[in-house]
Amino acid sequence: MTVLRSAWLIVAVGFMLLPVYVMVVVASAPDDTDLSGLVFNGFHLPENLRTLFGEGNLPTYLRNSLILCLGTGLLDVIFSAAAGYAMAHLAFPGRRVLFALVVGTLALTPMVLVIPVFLIVKELGWVNTFQGMIVPGMISAFGVFLVRQFALGIPKELLLAARVDGAGEFRIFARIAVPLLKPALITLFLVHFLAQWDNLLWPLIVANDQELWPLPVGLANFQSEVGLTYHLTTTAALVTAVPPFILMVALQRYYVAGLTFGGLKR
Amino acid sequence: MNARPQATAGVALTLPVAVFFVVFWLVPFLAAVYLSFTDYEMAGTPTWIGLANYERMFADPGFLNSAWITVVYTVCTVVPTIVLALLVAVPLSRPGRLNRWLRALVMIPAVMPLAATSMVWVIIYSDGGLANTLLGLAGIAPQSWLTSSDLAIWALVVMVVWKSLGLFAIILTAGLQALPGEVYEAAALDGSGPVTTFTRITLPLLRRTLLFVLVISVAGSMQAFVPAFLLTGGGPADATQVLPYYIWANAFPYEHMGYAAAMGMVLLAAMVIVSALQFGFLKGDDE
Repeated sequence: MTVLRSAWLIVAVGFMLLPVYVMVVVASAPDDTDLSGLVFNGFHLPENLRTLFGEGNLPTYLRNSLILCLGTGLLDVIFSAAAGYAMAHLAFPGRRVLFALVVGTLALTPMVLVIPVFLIVKELGWVNTFQGMIVPGMISAFGVFLVRQFALGIPKELLLAARVDGAGEFRIFARIAVPLLKPALITLFLVHFLAQWDNLLWPLIVANDQELWPLPVGLANFQSEVGLTYHLTTTAALVTAVPPFILMVALQRYYVAGLTFGGLKR
Repeated sequence: MNARPQATAGVALTLPVAVFFVVFWLVPFLAAVYLSFTDYEMAGTPTWIGLANYERMFADPGFLNSAWITVVYTVCTVVPTIVLALLVAVPLSRPGRLNRWLRALVMIPAVMPLAATSMVWVIIYSDGGLANTLLGLAGIAPQSWLTSSDLAIWALVVMVVWKSLGLFAIILTAGLQALPGEVYEAAALDGSGPVTTFTRITLPLLRRTLLFVLVISVAGSMQAFVPAFLLTGGGPADATQVLPYYIWANAFPYEHMGYAAAMGMVLLAAMVIVSALQFGFLKGDDE
């Protein structure tokens, strides 16, 4: 039974990794002659990378993706930390309304919002700018909600003791709450970074200027750039996949926590 | 005590978020509702046409085709993904060194960006790609996966199932690992076999996690835009034109903003209804 179970798992996980293996093989190919991706035809990955980074726009796309993901990720962490903490622990007018607003937006689909948000961004003169790409995605309802739920676990007594000691509310937030919220904030940054890294729809709509394209939009138009060379397109796909891998390996615990948020609580 | 400073700090800390959600969520949502009742071609100004967009939809073969394809796509991606993810997660959640390694490996497909995944599957489905190579080994003639109107939607479905499988296997594994071990010991003592244990103990205990996976996978499939955009461009002959793709195409390349907004409203309504049904069915006897 145990042997059978392990055999099934190895076969299943093998199938799950097969396309990843194919990606590495084709990304390392010298040309497009063998696209089956089953056997290495030499290892030309370094040359392919040199070609992509030497000519063409891949470095620009990579830079833009990093600006977009680090920018929106950090902004989301800062604003969600502040709002999530306040919603969990401070009594202020409009708290319930704000909570309803945040939870309500969790149900909305981007397909409804992209049209009017595009019109707003156009009105602001932000089409084809970094602010146009970053600002509409800089705070997520998920982030505010995640921090609020996590902040509810901070004991009231701790905050009360600090107040009795005469600490101001902002000081309590910065010195007591933020350090305690750190795991939630790392999880939020990771989830946000990975989601933005893969965001195709919004940059596609708001950025016509190739100089602003992040990797997903660049990849979508890649074949017109390098000619119809599948192996170089695959090398570019590999480059796109590497930063999420690195983050996942470094922050695996937080990644699972982010994925399962909402699924495990009873 | 402390009511005043708390109120000041609370407002100050939440103000940016409140402004953001009003400007980029609430106002756009209300604007989308309004636009759905207008004729608006981007260049001009919106003119109120009442329910005409909604009436037009149900006579538009493009919309009806997209709605149907979205239903097929959603059912055929969600069901196999969850069944396969369970089949992987149940053995994967058991302790052991091999399983720890396998759990780490499953994360690799899960964090692959969809954009990169799509490019790789374009290669897999190409003339000399892996799909045709494997068919060749079985003695079957090569197929044009992405340019045949019969096969393209299934090519998309297979890719999406693969892409979501790792993710859901991880979530379900975490859910299974959180289940109380004593229940299983008791079941084993009572002589419960693996199948009985699975259907009588594991599935009911895992209901919360299953509901979560079901809700996010259905919602994800209903609003999926990227696979159709990157693999097939909605083609061939609209065979993979899922509703989000049709909405995008109407709104941006064609600039039928009012009509696209109305279709967005229908998609939103469908998503809310489907989510409510799932909660109703699976949560019913929870409390």
